[in-house]
Order: sequence, then structure tokens, then C-alpha cells
Amino acid sequence: MSDAGIMVKATGLTKGFGSGLTRLEVLDDLDIEVTTGEMLAVVGPSGVGKSTLLHLIGLLDRPEQGRIVLDGMQTDDLDPSARAGLRNSTIGFVFQHHHLLDELDALDNVALPLRISGEGSGLARDRAAELLEAVGLTDRSSHFPDQLSGGEQQRVSVARALAMRPKLLLADEPTGNLDRVNSERLFQLVTELHLKAGLTSIIVTHNEEMARRCNRIFRLAPRVESSENVRKI
Amino acid sequence: MTFGAELHVASRYLVGTRRWTPVVTVTLISVFGLGLGVFALVVTLALLDGFQSGIRSQIVAHAAHAEVWPTTGRRIEAPGNLASLLQSELGTVEIVQIVKGTCLVSSDTDAVPASVVGRSDTDRVTVDRILSRRLGVGVGDRLEVISARQRLTPMGPLPVRIRTEIARIASPRPGAESGEVVLPIEQAQRLLWGEPVIEAIELRDAEYPWSLGERARKVLDNNGVAVQVAGLEELHRPLLTALALERVMIFVAVGLMLVVAALNLLCNVAMVAAEKRKDLAVMAGLGFTPPSLRRLFLVLGLSIGLIGSVTGAVLGSGLAVVLDRTGALELPRGVFMVEAVPFSVDPMTVGLVVAVALGLAALAAWLPARMVARREPAEGLRYE
Repeated sequence: MSDAGIMVKATGLTKGFGSGLTRLEVLDDLDIEVTTGEMLAVVGPSGVGKSTLLHLIGLLDRPEQGRIVLDGMQTDDLDPSARAGLRNSTIGFVFQHHHLLDELDALDNVALPLRISGEGSGLARDRAAELLEAVGLTDRSSHFPDQLSGGEQQRVSVARALAMRPKLLLADEPTGNLDRVNSERLFQLVTELHLKAGLTSIIVTHNEEMARRCNRIFRLAPRVESSENVRKI
Repeated sequence: MTFGAELHVASRYLVGTRRWTPVVTVTLISVFGLGLGVFALVVTLALLDGFQSGIRSQIVAHAAHAEVWPTTGRRIEAPGNLASLLQSELGTVEIVQIVKGTCLVSSDTDAVPASVVGRSDTDRVTVDRILSRRLGVGVGDRLEVISARQRLTPMGPLPVRIRTEIARIASPRPGAESGEVVLPIEQAQRLLWGEPVIEAIELRDAEYPWSLGERARKVLDNNGVAVQVAGLEELHRPLLTALALERVMIFVAVGLMLVVAALNLLCNVAMVAAEKRKDLAVMAGLGFTPPSLRRLFLVLGLSIGLIGSVTGAVLGSGLAVVLDRTGALELPRGVFMVEAVPFSVDPMTVGLVVAVALGLAALAAWLPARMVARREPAEGLRYE
């Protein structure tokens, strides 16, 4: 079967933590497929393995069993450096707790993936400035994370995720720590950038209303998963 | 992937900290510990070098820089030709012809066995302090030097003897334990051989004393002269070996402070690795490879090592120079050859100390770096 038009194809994913009596099986023989350009919401109760799934797809962790193909590339046999290179070039991450580096200001935080890729400081900072402008934070570029509000921190995090012009955006409860107004603003921003940049996005969320605004919802339940189409955005 | 991102993040970790954290405190303690270790080692070695260079200066000032003697037997064949050859090939080298032996030396009150040296560069009698003390004699006193060689007289065989007057009292040779009397060469030849024999040739070169032996050996080899040659190193090997051994032992003993400081640094870097676990996971998520993470921690460890060791080296060298120039640490007169504790800062030694400190810092950073690089990024995110 051809995988053309498929950004993420994961089959038979199994992942657990601990061993023996204390072992917790989180994902068991899970299959998931995300088409290119799709915005997929992953929902489910706490502890069901949403973040674990995102970590596996984002090559932040390795499954115990199963295979993951990203943009047509088989990832199982890649060594840690190759996985890191693929994360840098292809995947953008937005974490629930923003995870900005406290010692870097907003501009340097956004420029970091570019610096990691080998881009020179000047070009990296120029691109970071463009992205901060896109998320409406030009005037906050020299502020450090602890000088930004929660919403601003998360917008910087979104800008950082898009620094390398990734094909795949992975967001782990990006609005989880924000109030309703900021959640809405951030979700709109992510949606706009998803369309503008032609991204494929996987968003883990507890917010049913936001999930329904995605193309598709992937529901994770203990040992049971289902998929439903919602609407075009 | 370039080194820029690691350097950028490491520099921000080191100097970009905007609030006082335990990591900052422990980092400063690491810098202080390493600096103190380097400081102590630099000052100690400067002190040792000061004393040792004093001893070396004494050797150069008072002893032969090279010595030539026959391969077999005691007399050098055609010593005049040999001296001319060395003089012409080695340039401005001072050449002294020598005869040596052991005689009984007596004063009015006592008689002791002593070394007798006849030298071509002196025309007066010199006695060293050891002998003058044993015999209780001084300048102007008369000595009798009695040889083991005998001459036949109407009264039967009698030992050859000379009577002479002491013209000078000199410091003993470095390491000398028995007394020595130096005579003009003709007197000594008459006393020891009864004919103009030369047993050895001493060479001195004020400009390059330590390489003179090697140069003389080359000249004599090239001209096919079969004699033995010893330079300063060979002539004073036991003393110089003892000095070198002392230096190594002191380096190792005081260097243990650096090892303790490096262990402290290891704890510090491990603590940074633990406190920055989330950051490291995020950086890995953004594309830092395991080698990049290792480099980041090596840069951190080496930066702490560099700041500490350079500070310690500068302060240690500065203190040693000041103490040497001002002579602030005075020594009891008559006990030591010098009036104040001497210090000598050797840039090579300081460089070696800094290099050792940096090596230990790199090693201390390597272990946590290796641990960090082995983690999957999700581990750091999961245990937040």
C-alpha cells in the first residue's frame, strides 16, 4: 500500500513503564495514521497515553514494539543523532509548560533550533524576529521567560516550534495552563499558522470544543481507541 | 551541526544566570576550589624551583661543566693536543688540566686524608672549608701534603711530601663530604706522579653550561679521540635526579588538591544535569544530538576549569613574583645559601599545572555529560 500523502504512520505501537508487578501498560498495539496537511486532535482521559503517543511520534522516545514512519521515512533504525536531526528539521514541538530556556530571552529561545541546525547567529535571530512578529510579540523579544505572561510564553513556544519551518507540528496540551481567553487566542494562532505554513498538526488536548475545531479527533481510551471525522477547518 | 549552539547555551548557563540558585553557588565553589588547587600548586612549585635553581646555579658556578678522562688507565695521552682540539672546536670554552689523588694532609695539630687536585688554572693553594675546619687552619697557615707515592732516599723509601702555605679558603664543591686541597698543577704532578701527567680535562662554558658535555662528546667522536666525556647532568646525576624526583613528588602530592577540586566539579556538573533535566530534554527535542549534549557539558566543565585555573595561576604566579622580588620571607643568615625564600615562576610549569587542571575538569564533566547524552528526551519531560 502506498504511503503517499501520509505524514505519520504508526503501527502496532506498544509502550509501558516500569516492570514486573508495577508495570503500567500505556499503549498497546496502537495504530495511527495522519495525512499530510491534517490537523488532528488527540483526546482522552489523563494517563491514557496521549503525551506518550506524542513523544513516540515526535521521536522523543522509542516504542517497545511497533513502527513509525514520518513523511515516508522509516524511523525505527535511526541512531540517536539521526533522530535528533530529524526532530530538528521536520518536527516542531509545543509543550504544555512552554519549556522555554530560562537563561535565554524570547528571541534567543526562538532562534535556538536554528542555531542547533548550524545557522549563523545573525540569520537565526532575523528569522526569530520574523516569527515573534508573526505571533505578535516583537516588543517582547528581549524579555526572558519569567518576564512574560503564560499566554506570551506559549506564543514564544509556538514561534520556536515553527523556526525550522517543520512539516509536522506536535502540541501537547498547548492551552492546558492558560485561561479561556488566552487559550482561544493561542488556538487561533496555531490554526492560522497551521494553514499558512501548510503544516500537519497533532494536538493533544482536554478541550473538547477545540478538538472539534480540528479536522479529526483521535480518541484514546484505556486499550480502546476510535477515530472520528469532525469538519474541515 | 556546528559547535555554536552548545557554546551559546553554555555561556548563557555560566554568565546569563539572572537569579541566585544553588547551581550558581556550587559553580562558584567549584571555581574557587579549582583556583585554590592551582594557586597552591603554582606557589609550591615556584618555591621549589626557587630553591632548586639556587642549587643548580651553585653547581654551574663552582663545578666543571664537562669532564674528559681516559677510557683506559689514568693518564690522558697527548693532553696538549686534546686541549687544543677542544679549544679550537668549542670556541670560548675554558679548559683546565687536572690531576687528582688522595693524600694525607697535616697541619701543626692534626692530619687527615683529603682529596688533592692539581689544576692548571691556579698558582696558589686553596683549601675548602671542610678541610680547613677539620685541621683548624686558615689563610697563611702552612700545610704538609704527604703522598702515597714513595721515592728512594739514602735512608730508604720515603713518601713524597710538599710543604705549602694556604692562600685561600673556598666553599666545598656541591655534595662534597671529604675535604679538598687544590694545588698548582706542577706541584700536584710532582706529588702524585713525579712526572707531568694529566688525568682529566675540565671544561667550562659560561654561556651554555648544560649542553657542553654533549658538544664536547660530538667533537671528540668526530675526531676519533677515544676518551670518556661527562656533562653536568652525568657529573651530578644523583643530586639532579633527587631534585627531579622531589619536584615530581611535590607535584603529585599538592596536585591531589586538584583531584579533590575536580571531584567537587563533577558533583557540580551532575547537579546542573539534574536541575536542568527538563531543559536538556527540550534541547534534545529541538535537535541537540547526544554528542552535542556531551559537548555542552564539556564546555561547562572546561569553562569552570579555565576560569578557576587561570585565576589560580595568575594569583599564584603574581604572589610568587612579589615574594621573590621583595624578599619578604627572610631566612636565618648562615643556615641557607640565600637570605630570603627564593621563588622562580617557570611559565612551562604554570602551563602544565593549568593543563592538568583543565584535563581533570574535562574528565569531571565527561561523566555527567555521558549520563545526560544517554537519556531519551522524553525521560526529562515525563518526570517534570
